[in-house]
Order: sequence, then structure tokens, then C-alpha cells
Amino acid sequence: MIKVENVTKRFGQHVAVDNLNFTVNEGEVVGFLGPNGAGKSTTMNIITGYISATEGTVTVDGYDILDNPEEVKKRIGYLPEFPPLYIDMTVKEFLNFVFEIKKANTKNKKQEMERIMELVRITDVQNRLIKNLSKGYKQRVGLAQALVGNPSVLILDEPTVGLDPKQIIEIRNLIKDLGRKHTIILSSHILPEVSAVCERVIIINKGKIVASDTPENLSRRLGESSKLTLRIAAEEKQAIKVLRDVAGIKYVEAQGVKEPDTVDVWVEAEKDIDVRKPIFNALSRAGYPILQMKSMDLTLEEIFLQVTTQENGEVS
Amino acid sequence: MLAVYKRELRAYFTSSTGFIFMGFFLLLSGFFYAMTNIFGASPDYNSVLGNITFIFLIVVPILTMRLMPDDKRQRTDQLLYTSPLSISGIVLGKYLAAVTVFFLTLLVTCLYPVIMSFFGDIAVWEIVGGYIGFLLLGSSFISIGLFVSSLTDNQVIAAVVTFSSLLFVWLIDWIAQGLPTDKVSGIVFASILALAAGAFVYYNTKNIYVGVATTLVGAAVIVATYFLADRYFFDGFIVRVFEWFSLLKRYEEFQMGVLSLAPIVYYITFSAAFNFMTIRVIEKRRWS
Repeated sequence: MIKVENVTKRFGQHVAVDNLNFTVNEGEVVGFLGPNGAGKSTTMNIITGYISATEGTVTVDGYDILDNPEEVKKRIGYLPEFPPLYIDMTVKEFLNFVFEIKKANTKNKKQEMERIMELVRITDVQNRLIKNLSKGYKQRVGLAQALVGNPSVLILDEPTVGLDPKQIIEIRNLIKDLGRKHTIILSSHILPEVSAVCERVIIINKGKIVASDTPENLSRRLGESSKLTLRIAAEEKQAIKVLRDVAGIKYVEAQGVKEPDTVDVWVEAEKDIDVRKPIFNALSRAGYPILQMKSMDLTLEEIFLQVTTQENGEVS
Repeated sequence: MLAVYKRELRAYFTSSTGFIFMGFFLLLSGFFYAMTNIFGASPDYNSVLGNITFIFLIVVPILTMRLMPDDKRQRTDQLLYTSPLSISGIVLGKYLAAVTVFFLTLLVTCLYPVIMSFFGDIAVWEIVGGYIGFLLLGSSFISIGLFVSSLTDNQVIAAVVTFSSLLFVWLIDWIAQGLPTDKVSGIVFASILALAAGAFVYYNTKNIYVGVATTLVGAAVIVATYFLADRYFFDGFIVRVFEWFSLLKRYEEFQMGVLSLAPIVYYITFSAAFNFMTIRVIEKRRWS
């Protein structure tokens, strides 16, 4: 569906995007992750045809962005980092304008507009001037604008930035829904968002791809050993003594008392060994009930830090 | 193009810009009309149109300063340039919107000759000719303003530079009078033009050979013209080049009520050239 080949973008001496290669298949929801200035927005601007690459090609549905810009642009709905809104128009007028410039002026435009406004929940503000809307509503109008013309590809640059937690959840769910019908690339530096919404994560740093996989695979591949936290109704010393004797455990560390008469313990096991049953058996034999046991997968934050700070970040 | 045109036209009247332009234009033209035709009891309306061309210096920057920078500031350029619209469509839509506001304002001033017609005969066709010239002249000034606004992201800078450019165009006949007309300075000026063309080509292609080649071709043309074609070609060359940019000189014919093809074609070409340059500037920006 989207093919990015050897794309490089230089601004003078500064290389913003460095020989980027990736493909996004139809119906995929891909997350773009990277620290500030990693080249996420630049890459998105290149795919959408807002700026052109210094080198390399981008094709969407087989159409090259340079040779057939119109065909490509028709297929893409773009929500840039700052929603591009004419603030002196009402929501309805603005969407009307977008219908016209996207040449989506079909007969059932009215129903289509109603549908989009319903989807992003802006129906009740449709007659208000955009300049008087709150940040969250502006963001939604921006999203509505991207949906006009029913494009097969949606490119969303930090779609939830500046929203309150409730709105973030709403927009995230909306993106999940949209992912059923559209191919989506979204960028974010809110990591849980990416793991919640995306099937695949592309981590870029300094204009280069440093990792590309599913969130689960990334955490599995990078987590060398499995980690558990336990809350045990026992004295600290006794609990640790019992745990040290369990086969397969590499490392035990007390985390202090968080609940009266219990102790929290952090356990690291050897790779590929499930130590949960042995731990249960050992502790119950010693008469120390386990109140809580949680496995600690490497969170996306940790992966992110790991791959973006490593000297040789090549993972895939 | 139509969508952008409609939006820009609307934006003139949802903000104060369109009203300021119309108000200022009508105030000044009304003042000149009253002084000349009413109090001066003169039936010559075309001289009023000729006398108020200086208004363009002040009102055209108001009209054009926000056209391009505003989109950049609101980031709506991202919406426009990632939509299936062509850049030429966007530029033309904006240009025509500005011309339309100017045209609407001119329509209001049509009341002046109508009022005069109640008190005697007026030269209808001469006035129509004068208006056509006035519209074309104003449109050419607007195309300069649009071009300048595409060069900067700042409205104030756009306004000031547009004002200076229009002032230069307005004074160009006067400046040209003081320029040397002898052969040597004509050739030197032509050489400078050839060098500038070479530098421009080099700047755009980053290829030193193409740049030098352009300059050499220019030099060859100068030498060939002098020795083979016309020895007197470079006499007064500078003045002629400057006069080519003189928009006002071509307006004189309209003012006299003469409607000839050459100045009409000139004005349309002039506007087209500046619109084309605006399109190029925007396309170039997206490439760099």
C-alpha cells in the first residue's frame, strides 16, 4: 500500500531523514515512534506530498508521489501536528471547503458530512466559529478534515497531543475503529498509545529506523529475562531466603514494605524459564501466602529508551 | 481553484481587510471626484481615474499582504498542498479573489459618472475604456503584491516590501529619465544582466558550468547584436529596459479613452508573469 524507499531529506547540512525504507500493508495500523526531532513529522510530510524528499521514492497504491501527486493525495487523509484550520470559518463551512478542495463533492455529501461529524463528535459545535473552540475540539475538527473523501490511508501526526485524558481515550478508540477500514500511520511519543492502538511499531531516531516489529515482539525480543514482582505475607528475610532456593531464579531483591505485615519482592528469572509455579509451591510449603504476583514485561518506554540510546540500535 | 477563490473572497469580508480596502479606496476616489467633477464642475472623469492611481501604492499592500503568509501562519498551507489541488489553482484562486474585491470596489465608483450623467452628457465609451485600463493596471499591481507575499512569512514585511516595489514601479519613468543613454553604459548594463542571469541559473541548478554557459550565451548575444545586427541597439538600452516595467506609461492611452490591444496584452502578460513566478516560488520552497 505505502512504500517508502531510500528516502533521504536534507535541510541544508542537516540530515532530517536518512535513507528510510519501510512498507505499510493495506489495513495495517502502524505507529511511528521517536524522540523529538527524530524525523517523524518530516517523513509524514514527505509521504503526503507537503514537502519533497531530497532522494528516494514514495509510492501509495502504486502511484509515485512525484509522478502522480493528485492520485496519491486523493488517497491520503492527513492530520498534521498542528491541525490546519481556517479559524474564521464555522466547523460546517470549513468541512464544506475541505469537501470542495478534495474534490469529494458527491451527491450524498450531506450525509457523508453528518457521518464524519457524528464519528468525531463535533455535530453539536458545527455552527460555531473554529477560533472559539477548545483545543480538543479543534483537534477533532482536524481529524474530521482528514476523513473527508473517505481516503484509504490516514496519516495522523500526534493525534492526541493536547487532549484531556477522557478525550485521549475517545480518540484512541476512534482510531482503533478507523483501523478496520483504513490503513493508518500515526506518530506519537505517548508510548502506551502506540502499544494500545498499533499492530506494528517503527521506532526512528536521528532519521533512521532503529526497530520495527509488533509491540509484543519488541518487548519479548529485548527482554532477556522475565521479571516478576511479588507481594508476600512474610518477613523480608524469610521470604528472600525461600526464594533464593527456587531453581531458575537469577536474582532476588526486596522492594520494601508497602502493606503492613507483607513484603514486596522483585524476582528475575533465567531466560525462557517459567518460575511462577515453583515460586508458588516453595512459598506455600514454607507457609507464606502470595498476595500478588505480576510479571513485568519490558514496557515500550524501556524498549524505546534502550533502542534510542544504544550505540548500535539495530534490532531488526 | 473555485473553492480557494470562494474562501479567500469570504475571508476578505469576515476580517476587516476587505472593508478597510474598500473604505480607503472609496474615500480617496470620492474626494478626488468631488474636487474635480463636482466642485471643479469638470466633465472629464477619466482624469480623476488617472489622478488616483497613486492609491494603489497604499491599498494594494492591504489587499495582498495576508494572501500567502496567512496560510503559512495558520498552517493551512499543509491542508492546501496535501490536497489534490494544483499549486497554480491555489495561486490563481487567491489572485482572482483579490482582483474581485478590487473589481467590486470599482463597481461602486461607477456611481460617480452615473451621478454626473444626470447633469449633462458624459463620454460613456471613454469612461468604459478608462475603467478597463484601471482594472488591468490594478490587477497588475495586485500580481506584484501576491508575488511579494509569497516570498515572506510575515504580513508586515509583505506589506512594506509590496509598498516599496509599487513605489519603484510608480517612479520608474522618473528614474529612467536620469539614467545614462550612451552606448557604453548600455553595453555594461546588458553585461550585468547577463551575469545576473548566469548567477540566477547557478543558484537554481547548483551547476557552475550551466551558470557560466548562460552568462557566455548572454555575452555572445550582446556582441552579436552590436557587431552584426544593430550598432545603435544599446543607445538608451537602460531606459528602454526600465520603461518595459512602466505600468503607468501604458495607462496613458486608456486615460485618453483609446482602447488598443497592445497595452491590454501587456497588462495581462505582466500579471501572468508575476503569477507564474509566485507559483514557482512556492514549488521551489517545497523542494528545498
